[in-house]
Amino acid sequence: MTSLALLFTLSAIGISETMYLIRKRIAFEKPICPIGEDCAVVLESKYSKLFIIPNDVLGLLSYILIALASALLVIGVEPLFLWNIVLIIMVIITSIASVFFTYLQWRVLHAWCFWCLMSALTIWLMAIIMLASYY
Amino acid sequence: MHKTSFHILRVGLAITFLWIGILIFKAPEAWGGYVSPWALKLLPISIEQAMIGTAFLDIVVGALLLFDTLVWLGALAATIHLIIVLTVSGINEVTVRDIAILAGATALFFDSMPASFIEKLYSNKIKIL
Repeated sequence: MTSLALLFTLSAIGISETMYLIRKRIAFEKPICPIGEDCAVVLESKYSKLFIIPNDVLGLLSYILIALASALLVIGVEPLFLWNIVLIIMVIITSIASVFFTYLQWRVLHAWCFWCLMSALTIWLMAIIMLASYY
Repeated sequence: MHKTSFHILRVGLAITFLWIGILIFKAPEAWGGYVSPWALKLLPISIEQAMIGTAFLDIVVGALLLFDTLVWLGALAATIHLIIVLTVSGINEVTVRDIAILAGATALFFDSMPASFIEKLYSNKIKIL
């Protein structure tokens, strides 16, 4: 229950982060970059989309799925095993994607984006909580 | 309100409302225990149905605040909802914290009120005067 509450809270924070980036992108505004000045370099790079879908939209959908799966597990809506699998798969996929995007910032773009790092940190924290709850 | 503090308050309240909604959905009859007997007599529906309705409202309010959409409406609904909660439950060791949530929701409402609504409010005030 505690781990699910934490996963839900972190995914809600993730939703608010990605919603902020989506709103700024739609409004053609640059997001506030609290640390560093390279947010735009990363967010406007060719790696900011997967095929035609922007990464912020993919992130939002992932966070919504994680929040939904955690909520359904807490309420106890059947089939519980399915929500559990969705939760595990989503956290694994997003954790790997976050490692990849952090590597891109570090080695390829040579620029750091505060919001992308925050999102990666949120996801890795979710993975740690999930691992800790299973062992 | 400073923009950063506004967003911190918005997201914090959103998580609170969403989580409370989920917990009420999990055990609606248990949460019904907080409703005072006099309020139970006034209910035209069962306490379980009333609590499921409350959970649904909490989740809608939380979603509006989290997705930064119609924040003023979500905050207004939250304010009215919390006034009703404090009225029907009374102030006890659990609901005492709702005073802080009520204050936060009210602050959020006043800060996110649409400019057109404020203008209308002031023009009506001038007409009355």
